Amino acid sequence: MVQRLARLGKLLIGLWLAGVAIAMFLVVPQYEGLGNAGRIVIMHVPTAWVAVVAFTVSAIFSARYLWRRRPQDDDYALAAAESGFLFTTLATVTGMIFSQVVWGVYWNWDPRQTSIFVLLLIYAALFALRAAIDEPQRRRQLSAVYSLFAFVTMPFLVFVAPRIADSTLHPNCAFIQGSQCDGLTLEVGKIGLLGDRKVQLLALERNGDVVTAQVKVSEPGLTAERVLSPSFDLVHEEMVARPEFPGLRYQLGLEAVDLEANSALLNIEAPGTGLLENRRTLFTFLAAIIGFTALFFWMLSVRATLLGVQWALAQRAGGRL
Amino acid sequence: MSGQPALCNPTSRTPPGRVCEHHPGFQFLCYNRQVETRLTVEGVAATYGARRVFADVSLELSGGEVLVVSGANGSGKSTFLRLLAGLQRPEAGQIVYRCGGQALDPRDAARLIGWVAPDLMLYRELTGRENLRFFAEVRRLHLDDGAIEALLERVGLAGRGDERLATYSSGMAQRLRYAYALLHHPPVLLLDEPGLTLDERGTAVVERVIAEQRRSGIVVVATNDPRELRYGDLLLRLGT
Amino acid sequence: MHKELDQNVAGVEREELEASGSLGVRAVLGASWAVFVKDLRTELRTRYAINVLVLFAACAAVAVSLGVGFIGLRRTDEALLIQATLLWIALLFAALNGLSRGFVQEEETRTMAALRLAAPPLAVYLGKFLLNVLLLAVLEAITSLLFIVLVRVQVGSPLALIGTLAAGGLSLATATTILAAIIARASFKSALFAVLAFPLIVPPLIVAIQSTAAALGSGGLPQAVPALQFLGAYSVATFVASLLLFRFVWEA
Repeated sequence: MVQRLARLGKLLIGLWLAGVAIAMFLVVPQYEGLGNAGRIVIMHVPTAWVAVVAFTVSAIFSARYLWRRRPQDDDYALAAAESGFLFTTLATVTGMIFSQVVWGVYWNWDPRQTSIFVLLLIYAALFALRAAIDEPQRRRQLSAVYSLFAFVTMPFLVFVAPRIADSTLHPNCAFIQGSQCDGLTLEVGKIGLLGDRKVQLLALERNGDVVTAQVKVSEPGLTAERVLSPSFDLVHEEMVARPEFPGLRYQLGLEAVDLEANSALLNIEAPGTGLLENRRTLFTFLAAIIGFTALFFWMLSVRATLLGVQWALAQRAGGRL
Repeated sequence: MSGQPALCNPTSRTPPGRVCEHHPGFQFLCYNRQVETRLTVEGVAATYGARRVFADVSLELSGGEVLVVSGANGSGKSTFLRLLAGLQRPEAGQIVYRCGGQALDPRDAARLIGWVAPDLMLYRELTGRENLRFFAEVRRLHLDDGAIEALLERVGLAGRGDERLATYSSGMAQRLRYAYALLHHPPVLLLDEPGLTLDERGTAVVERVIAEQRRSGIVVVATNDPRELRYGDLLLRLGT
Repeated sequence: MHKELDQNVAGVEREELEASGSLGVRAVLGASWAVFVKDLRTELRTRYAINVLVLFAACAAVAVSLGVGFIGLRRTDEALLIQATLLWIALLFAALNGLSRGFVQEEETRTMAALRLAAPPLAVYLGKFLLNVLLLAVLEAITSLLFIVLVRVQVGSPLALIGTLAAGGLSLATATTILAAIIARASFKSALFAVLAFPLIVPPLIVAIQSTAAALGSGGLPQAVPALQFLGAYSVATFVASLLLFRFVWEA
């Protein structure tokens, strides 16, 4: 009965993920400015989420091992770490691909990149530690301690990571509540910073219902300056032209205009901003998260069972593991 | 009476019939040889890596008994003693020390044990006296110089206490192991290859130690030396 | 009755009564101090760890001085950040070479068993931790002096620098002492130590570098407070975790 349920569950997970993969291409609308590359987000975010879940699960089972000293708990902790490593790698690689296609860089020590990089290092250290201890009981115990100890330091990393780089390429407006995407109100002639980009509002020109702003933009580390002309429709209260920053997929949007004060609200529009406002995208996204989490737990149980069988066989053979 | 707990002092020899009971540090009652220490081994198995060296060893010892453990090389004599010392966990089964009938937590039991073994190494950079002083301090025993000198004399190292261990011969190192093990008057003495590299007078020290210990405490000796086999009241043969 | 007993004790060893509860705080602290003194004495006789630490720091300072110690270096913010980073790299690598010594030596000279039977686990941890703190203090004093002399680092706010070095050093000690105990039981000890330690000390390292750069510049003590708070919190968290987890390492 249990076996049949397990087989059914396995089948369901497979079908579910196949559905997610299809939906990724057929259901999710192509987001403006991202092209097909945007679809990778449906993979990227859930794998990163599972990486965090796996790390937590591994720490929980490590604690249980120290508490009860049953080899099974250590099998689960190791299995969680192994699948976690896999998912962390997947999240890193999908993220790098996306980053290269959309923003033109593979890596920029963005806070979340730093965190996941350190997570990779911790997993690597855990495997190195396990490989360096021959005696099984000692190996289990010490790796459980390391895994828990590493878990204790993780919150500090999450806290400190944003201090490394001021800017993030991750589209916080799309996924994180309360992130700063308020934009910048400038009077004509004034200079301000949007992220780490210097912008200067040169002029506002009204042409019928549409106001076009002339904005001088300079990138940090770039000597070249460019003038971009975003525009705004006064009647429909919506942005019309959203030019891209030079060399990037970021767009400059003119979100509001106050002609009397001669000022305008400028903002960076990261590709992917507002992505989840689309219902179909949101549901595919949630389905992907559920699917990948289920996949992780299935992998966890299979791998842990396998480790248990391996250990039993080694014990029966009387050989060394 | 404010001095009540002092009865539980390892060296205060309580008059027969007087038992001090229920003190938070009740394990120290066992130092007081009026209270009997018992050792119960139930179905113990040990592994070395994934290899099982012995399984299902059960026995019971009480104060005044000497157990000799023998067996071929690799049969697990030393492992058995390490299990008894709590340096290693048994793969299966239980090892329980009882003190006046009460089972002790394995962690507290470590304080009842004196262990002498070829594996036991002391600090080479320190002198014999500094070694003993250090171990007395971590055990929170307040030993004065006279007490340490007496201990050194007892194991035949009188006058050599201020030399560093690095300059000791292997026989002298073995003698110092006895001093380390006897430092806290343990009611349980575990001796792995007790006569290793000892000369005639060293062997006499061992015999004297065992004879003193058997008056009240437990001794477990792991050996294959025919001379040492006769120390025992009981014999455990491993690997048969 | 009491007198009689005292006579029975007859000038021989006396058990400290408060130690009879196996976890008396004073007993553990006393035993910790004994472990610390023993390790310090051993260290003073062999001078192994201190040689490694000081030589490493000196080499790093000289190497840095050869590269960026020229007189014409302008004190821009970037230059300060680079100097701070180099200082902490020197400290970090020296620490990763020397701080595992306490436990590794016990394992290599096979004295671990003797210590395990005699000392409470917490006392061993605290004793080794104290020695590591002392070693780090010496290391930091020497390294920062060498940097000031050889690399011509000018310190804007000495107080903030000292605070940052102290808090950063404490974080290093709390994070690495238990790892030293772990790797002492494994093979490839020294390589493994760096591998295990590095990911865990990334957070305090970043904060310490930034705070050091600020202290080299014009930032005073008040500006260093958030960094000190962070480093303090990190130290406390890892220290408490070590206290809870050390037992399992020691018994493994």
